[in-house]
Amino acid sequence: MTNSFDAIVVGAGVVGASCAHYLVEAGLSVAVVDRGSVAAGTTGAGEGNILVSDKEPGPELDLALLSQRLWTELIDVIGPAIELEPKGGLAVGYEQHTFDHLRAFATEQAACGVVATPVTGADLLELEPNLNPEVAGGVFYPQDMQTQPMLAAAHLIARGVRMGRITLHTNANVVAIPRDARGAVTGVETTTQTLQAPLVVNAAGTWGGEIAALAGVNVPILPRRGFILVTEPLPVIVNRKVYSAEYVANVASDDAALQTAAVVEGTHSGTILIGASRERVGFDRTLDWTVVQRLAQQALQLFPRLAQASLLRTYGGFRPYCPDHLPVIGPDARVPGLMHACGHEGAGVGLSAATGFLIAQAAIGVSPLLSLAPFAAERFDAHHVAVVHA
Amino acid sequence: MSDQRDIIIIGAGAAGMNAAYVAAEPGLAVTVVDANPCPGGQYHRRGALEQRYRPSGCSDENRWARVEILSGQQVYAVNSMPDTGHVLVRMRGDERHPHEIGILRARALIVATGAMDRQLAIPGWQLPGVMAGGGAQSLIKGSGVLPGQRTLVTGTGPFLLAVAASIVQAGGEVAAVIEANAPAGLARHTRKMFPAAVAKTAEAARFAGILARHRVPYLTRRRVTRIAAGAVDTQGRACVSEATVQRIDSQWQPKPGTEQRFDVDCVTLGFGFTAQLDLLLQLGCAITDAPDGGLAVLVDERQATSRPSVFAAGETTGIGGVDLASVEGRVAGLHAAAELTGRAPATALVKSLHRQRRHLHGFATALALAFPVPTQWVNDQPGETIVCRCEEITLGDIRSARDDLGATDPRSIKLLTRAGMGWCQGRMCSFSVEGICGRQANVAAQAASASRPVSVPVPLGAIARDENVMRESAQ
Amino acid sequence: MPIMWRSFMPNLPVNSVHIRIDGNDVAVRPGISVAAALLTEGYRSWRTTRGQQQPRGIFCGIGACFDCLVILNGQPNVRACMTTVEPGDEIATQEGTGHV
Repeated sequence: MTNSFDAIVVGAGVVGASCAHYLVEAGLSVAVVDRGSVAAGTTGAGEGNILVSDKEPGPELDLALLSQRLWTELIDVIGPAIELEPKGGLAVGYEQHTFDHLRAFATEQAACGVVATPVTGADLLELEPNLNPEVAGGVFYPQDMQTQPMLAAAHLIARGVRMGRITLHTNANVVAIPRDARGAVTGVETTTQTLQAPLVVNAAGTWGGEIAALAGVNVPILPRRGFILVTEPLPVIVNRKVYSAEYVANVASDDAALQTAAVVEGTHSGTILIGASRERVGFDRTLDWTVVQRLAQQALQLFPRLAQASLLRTYGGFRPYCPDHLPVIGPDARVPGLMHACGHEGAGVGLSAATGFLIAQAAIGVSPLLSLAPFAAERFDAHHVAVVHA
Repeated sequence: MSDQRDIIIIGAGAAGMNAAYVAAEPGLAVTVVDANPCPGGQYHRRGALEQRYRPSGCSDENRWARVEILSGQQVYAVNSMPDTGHVLVRMRGDERHPHEIGILRARALIVATGAMDRQLAIPGWQLPGVMAGGGAQSLIKGSGVLPGQRTLVTGTGPFLLAVAASIVQAGGEVAAVIEANAPAGLARHTRKMFPAAVAKTAEAARFAGILARHRVPYLTRRRVTRIAAGAVDTQGRACVSEATVQRIDSQWQPKPGTEQRFDVDCVTLGFGFTAQLDLLLQLGCAITDAPDGGLAVLVDERQATSRPSVFAAGETTGIGGVDLASVEGRVAGLHAAAELTGRAPATALVKSLHRQRRHLHGFATALALAFPVPTQWVNDQPGETIVCRCEEITLGDIRSARDDLGATDPRSIKLLTRAGMGWCQGRMCSFSVEGICGRQANVAAQAASASRPVSVPVPLGAIARDENVMRESAQ
Repeated sequence: MPIMWRSFMPNLPVNSVHIRIDGNDVAVRPGISVAAALLTEGYRSWRTTRGQQQPRGIFCGIGACFDCLVILNGQPNVRACMTTVEPGDEIATQEGTGHV
């Protein structure tokens, strides 16, 4: 078995898998390396959101729109296996003033290509019959989709493996990123072997800062903890992803303290997932019942019928969080051959398709469809931020 | 009423009730919380209307009057309060009252949550009429009802004798006891640790005598390889009619041509026990691997875990049976009380209990070694074999995830197939999944599989309305 | 050949508790579990699974496996092995998620 590849992707989560997929489409041979197994990191704690609805106009929304189009193309490639559903999203404002803000926000988004339709009264209840009738109104985003993130990562990689273009190295912890005399990367060293490639893509998510450090550069990624509640399997109660307007504000917040806002959606198996919480508490995994209660209360405010549903389990994960709320994507100007694809802060699944696509374009020297300047890894060097290690 | 207690004991089996009796001696506020309708755990299970369980040697009713026993209360989570060092015990009511949730605080906690039968997937094990050995026992002891008319008792370990004996003593019929291992192994292991005479424990001898009197065959080096449901119940729904048994090699692989069919309407399964460590894992207690291939919480000679003020006794510290559980319960009760009163327990008593514990612990280890459970044979069964009962995930589904999608460990299998994500949260299937992955003796991975932040389902409405959570966060 | 099977109890007093199972009036012994009551009425299963509509009844018998779920007094997903019968109980076979 060869140890030489055109590209090495560090991280077998959904972003790494997407990078590997598009690199293969571009004709490269790829090794995917992960210290655990596929989706062992944050992807394993993801909900599967593919949203344009929660993003304000700017580089991230542009990325989301491109990603949404690419995910739509992936439906035919691997859709059914990964429970990819173009079910649409519904952002709701419980109070009238929240709904007014939501509508104004949607108007701004519409100018950038987001399809958004305000819905109230009977029309709203037709979209979501179990929604609390006291909700002032909502905005429907037909472009939002949902997938099963672990299956998505696994199948994107498996497809490449079947084609003979991807080699998967699990339980392989990267301990060094060697560089040659001109400072260009030559591959990675794991605890068991050395792999060679002129291109190394750092898709290590919440641990992207650690991988970057191995290559001698700073990429300040912090963990932002989130919990998800999982109910017993239920009949269909929620048709789409439904979330409260406060969700957008929370994502953009710099507050380290607990932020919660309701996000409720059904899954293929009938369980309902309830999020979303964000807090900066390092890598503490201990379940906080105050968070559980807040999430339950907020979900019940939107769907009172869920009061009878039982909580079966919870899971938590650490979203990779950059100080300016944008991911790190593209070639690192400081290290030839090193690219980053991490820091997607709760939007990793949704943005993975565009991320992988842009990485592949950069890898073969094609001018990227979107400017990568806002996502440059070097942008933090001017004001140094400490990197949190696990 | 205040929610503060001195000592809370979770589990009213032999360990928990012995601990409660001992801990109540110096006048501390002791509360036992138990999910069942009445105390007794598994071994001392009895009908809800029968005489109350009192462990032997614990007969002072004046003392019991001081112990608060909360039956029909299920603890769904516990956590330590870092500032006070107290432990919060979150519980909900029984199946009729799941919305009634409450909270208690303890200065010290004793976790005696026992164990459940350990299971491995076999074709047809999901059919009505197949149940755990402990399930048959709980029907007989708790409700006076037989599990079936004619039962095949199968699996491995001395518990098979107990199950078979219970059935015949209740007037039922046992077609045979099918033991995967060979009893000679027990003598070999115990001789290493004790004089040979100890190998004949009084109870095992008694069970063997009962079975001999009822002419129940005890067939060794065999296991059930298939269960079929060719019969129907009074509602016309399929139920067990036949089980196929084959001789096996040391890795439990069946030998072709040795099939033996039994006409039975009930098959019991049990391959040792899995300790119920949910709450101890929630608390972050250090876990270790046990001689039977499972996990146990690490405790010191005081039965103290690695977390301050948290003690454990009984099967959670390693499967060891009712007598060991009783002794461990007393030790835990003594030391938990001593920690709170500041008065050291009587040296002679402690020495005696420690000596009994050592003896019983050694025997438990010998038993574990004499009845080993290989698991890789699970992987070689037909692909349609249901592994995850709750989500109906088959062996074929799991093999695909393992071979085609790179799911090399149980957690990945769970994420990619949903095995372990149903109501029982992996309690019935995780041992099989580990076997299919090729069990690596990795305590961390096993502990991750066994971790459940919510130990029993709780209605969202109850959580949303719970005023106790608000009070806690204000601390 | 199908066997019509009824669970039989050892010689114990039969003071009857009146309950209904799938609309039928029955009398069972006090203090037994709902699972035991169902068994004495000849039920080996009282639920069908959500995925493959397969019959399930009691398995672990101690509340750990959640196979024995039944509808009790209109409430679905009640563990029959963990619940003691009470006079007037209405027990019903459940299907799928248990919820209507």
